[in-house]
Amino acid sequence: MSGCRLFLRTAAGARTCQALMDPRASRRPLRTCPPRRAFAKELFLGKIEKKGVFPFPEVSQDELNEINQFVGPVERFFAEEVDSGKIDREGKIPDDTLAKLKSLGLFGMQVPEKYGGLGLSNTMSTRLGEIVSLDGSIAVTLAAHQALGLKGIVLFGTEAQKAKYLPRLASGEHVAAFCFLEPARNDAASIRTRATLSEDETHYVLNGSKVWITNGGIAEIFTVLAKTKVVDSDGSEKDRITAFIVERDFGGVTNGKPGDKLGLRGSNICEVHFEDTRVPVVNVLGEIGGGFKVAVDVLNSGRFSLGSVVAGMLRRLIELTAEYACERKQFTRKLSEFGLIQEKFALMAQKAYAIESMSYLTAGMLDHPECPDCSIETAMVKVFSSEGAWQCVSEALQILGGLGYIKDHPHERMLRDARALLFLEGTNEILRMFIALTGLQHAGSILTPRIKELKESRVAIAMETMARRLWDTVGRTVDLGLTDDPGVVHPSLGDSVTKLEENVFYFGRTVETLLLRFGKTIVEEQLVMKRVANVLINLYGMTAVLSRASRSIRIGLRDHDHEVLLASTFCMEAYFQNLFILAQLDKYDPGNLDELVKKVSQRILEKRTYICAHPLDRTT
Amino acid sequence: MSCVRAVLLVQSLARGRAGIRRASHLGTPFPQVPPLALRSLHCSSAPHTSEKSEKSLVPRPPESGKRLAKVPAPWEDLFHPAPGGTRDKASFVRAVQSFEQHNVHKRGHVDFIYLALRKMREYGVERDLAAYNLLLDIFPKEVFRPRNFIQQIFLHYPRQQECGVAVLDQMESNGVMPNKETKFLLLQIFGRGSHPMLKLERMRLWFTRFQHINPFPVPRDLPHGAVELATLGLQHMEPDLSARVTVYQRPLPDDVTDPGDLIQPHIVGIQSPDQQDALARHSPARPLFVEGPFSLWLRNKCVYYHILRADLLPPKEKDLEEIPEEWNLHYPMKLDLDYARSGWDDYEFDIDEVEEGPVFAMCVAGAHDQETLAKWIQGLQETNPALASIPVVFQLAGSTGELLTASGPEDPRQSQREGREEDDHLQRQQQGQS
Repeated sequence: MSGCRLFLRTAAGARTCQALMDPRASRRPLRTCPPRRAFAKELFLGKIEKKGVFPFPEVSQDELNEINQFVGPVERFFAEEVDSGKIDREGKIPDDTLAKLKSLGLFGMQVPEKYGGLGLSNTMSTRLGEIVSLDGSIAVTLAAHQALGLKGIVLFGTEAQKAKYLPRLASGEHVAAFCFLEPARNDAASIRTRATLSEDETHYVLNGSKVWITNGGIAEIFTVLAKTKVVDSDGSEKDRITAFIVERDFGGVTNGKPGDKLGLRGSNICEVHFEDTRVPVVNVLGEIGGGFKVAVDVLNSGRFSLGSVVAGMLRRLIELTAEYACERKQFTRKLSEFGLIQEKFALMAQKAYAIESMSYLTAGMLDHPECPDCSIETAMVKVFSSEGAWQCVSEALQILGGLGYIKDHPHERMLRDARALLFLEGTNEILRMFIALTGLQHAGSILTPRIKELKESRVAIAMETMARRLWDTVGRTVDLGLTDDPGVVHPSLGDSVTKLEENVFYFGRTVETLLLRFGKTIVEEQLVMKRVANVLINLYGMTAVLSRASRSIRIGLRDHDHEVLLASTFCMEAYFQNLFILAQLDKYDPGNLDELVKKVSQRILEKRTYICAHPLDRTT
Repeated sequence: MSCVRAVLLVQSLARGRAGIRRASHLGTPFPQVPPLALRSLHCSSAPHTSEKSEKSLVPRPPESGKRLAKVPAPWEDLFHPAPGGTRDKASFVRAVQSFEQHNVHKRGHVDFIYLALRKMREYGVERDLAAYNLLLDIFPKEVFRPRNFIQQIFLHYPRQQECGVAVLDQMESNGVMPNKETKFLLLQIFGRGSHPMLKLERMRLWFTRFQHINPFPVPRDLPHGAVELATLGLQHMEPDLSARVTVYQRPLPDDVTDPGDLIQPHIVGIQSPDQQDALARHSPARPLFVEGPFSLWLRNKCVYYHILRADLLPPKEKDLEEIPEEWNLHYPMKLDLDYARSGWDDYEFDIDEVEEGPVFAMCVAGAHDQETLAKWIQGLQETNPALASIPVVFQLAGSTGELLTASGPEDPRQSQREGREEDDHLQRQQQGQS
């Protein structure tokens, strides 16, 4: 195994050399063109930012070979040596499995080579993540270690901190965990863990407890958010959050018993308590009082690692289920001959295709040197892939019927594991709010002058808007420049592209109307924001599949006609979904039941019971 | 037309005969309560008896000066209890049956029904549908039905019809829903277009609609214990369902009551978690007030409660709390835009809202003096440590200007008095007709 590791290292080294010679890197400081804009944010304005999205990001042949060299041993290891059933039954990843994962270098995928990691790009770690995701528990353990636990040190650590901690973390000698959630309390302050500076000002004394810490029981290094007293610019003393790197050896660190979970049973999720833990001042991560930024950045980037790994699981799932459907006979026919079963496979393939496309598109964006803020994109990938995974696994289990419900089959374990993805690393509801609000903030600040003029009811502006509305409804053909240029989308996908453009255009219009209607109070309109987020996710998915399918056609990948089929079906479905949602966002739409929905739930929550009388009740 | 009438007549006659047969069947003297009555016997409330504990809760109504001279009603002696007999449903049924036995021609049945209506409360059958049906069954069948259109136009047998309406009236005021048997009896007695039938139809319509009209329903049978009643009252007032009721002090049980100074009034309080939080945040510089007693009526009982409140913060001291930045690490809690909701999406009415100061807790105590309420505050301090450092001012209303609870011996007669008022009402009705 160590041989394998050595081999991986050399490969990584070779890649660095090649990266140094990469023309992209040398082109970077010149920047002759305007800076790239984030794709999703531009969608809110009804525009499509083609840079970075069309054409689909590619890796060079050398890089591809290199990834495949990584992938081979890992794939073999997961196929032959990882017993997911056993991990699930025993609720623990066996030590030898962990040791092999470490020796494969999987604990340091994204740690720079300088510090002993593999230094993989986002694209490459997504590829490896696909394989890792064959076992949910291992995937979550690794994600918590490197996407959350040590990410803070990579992003914000000083040179000394990196040199001290990263090598041991990359080798897997130490496991990292990220601690920010605290037990729920009634009062407003969500972080109660406190770090007080000792009198000699050499260290902080940390007190408090954190809950839901993945790897909490096995981690040696914790990134902890705690309140500290900070003197503000105006001289007043305030409580601010600061991030600390805490070693278990500092003392006073205890952890609770890992909870008995529904899924992801091999992962170690527990409470961690800090009692008079003495943290040296040099272990402050980032600035003192700058913990909020650390936390937000780590969470934003950490989301991607969990969201992007689903594709591998879905590939495996489709294989497993297709095998069963083609062998099993029912009513003298094979299961695979029934339309309702075929429909489920089409759905799974479509979802898997979209998830893959979105993941690798986003990974490519993140890897680009001029990467703008892609936090919306990563959040969208997480939401879409976790929901897609849950839906696909559930449908696959349906195909198996009762057999899938039995523990002998991997389906039930996958179902339980997939359920957790819907709420890990920010529940999907929270992420939808994040997606919508971040985009609306962007669009809102750009549209401010226009909306203000409209609000002041300048006649000219109002007339222009009305004329525009009229023109929109009477019949305009939307052209955002994706079809004209033959280099963007392949003509055989022309129909889907028109649909995408139409959706994007009217989405921009709807966002403008929403901002005009609600302004900053849109924060309170969660149902509206959910719809905005859903449209955006659909649009992003459409873009990703179109971009990927075009590339496949153009370079002549095998089975690209199948890709075209998947892409057009996906786009068609997403298009009609979008039309429906956009119609619901209209103020007087009869399909918008928000008020009624709110009323129903208000009544129920007021009484805290299902109110209706029993159907057998009588009045006399 | 006449043909149709004839058919109808035949039908109604047939029904009438069946009714008579049935009535005679019902009318046979039963040694016991008929089975129908048995079923609802246990649902009927026990006769209203005042206990010692609730004396203080029942206020004295305005004393009425006039007293009608009592004239014994014709059939009063039927309701004289047998020596050693109790007044319950069985004896009520027996009284009605003995009337029917004594009086085959049912002479004076209207008077008897009025009398029986007045007696129902004494026998504890005022909410018993079977008892009302039994009363209606006294009417002779088929006699009062109009037989031609002139009879139908004019009130046929008005006194009897009014009596039937009086029975239904009493059912209505006691919340008894008539059933099919009632309807059948009324059809047999008065016919389809009669006043009692109209009344019945209206009751069947409106009862179902008004049954659950009260969004804050009070149970029909109130608990008898003072602590239980206080708990019910507090929960009735408290909008927050997570509020917890605490019994700070239980009244001494009746059997060990010593005369003299060992009286221990009950103290029951309620507080919600939100109120606890608000109290913990309350600045010790601002005093709290214990105010009361305020009255709360639960059906025919009244409880008095006190509140622990503070004055409204002056506007400049508010809004000091800012949302801490870490409150939500996942998404921004507010947008940085300088335009708000536009007018045509603003559905808020322009209401002048008068804000009141916070209420931190409520209690119901057996006595309204400062000593008792101080015990409540002491009890509150256990769950609200902050309360120890906040000054508490007792602003208790004196005995003037409020409904005082009766401490005298009038209370046990409360029910009788109510009964008597009803009697008066019925008598007046009767007199008005005859």
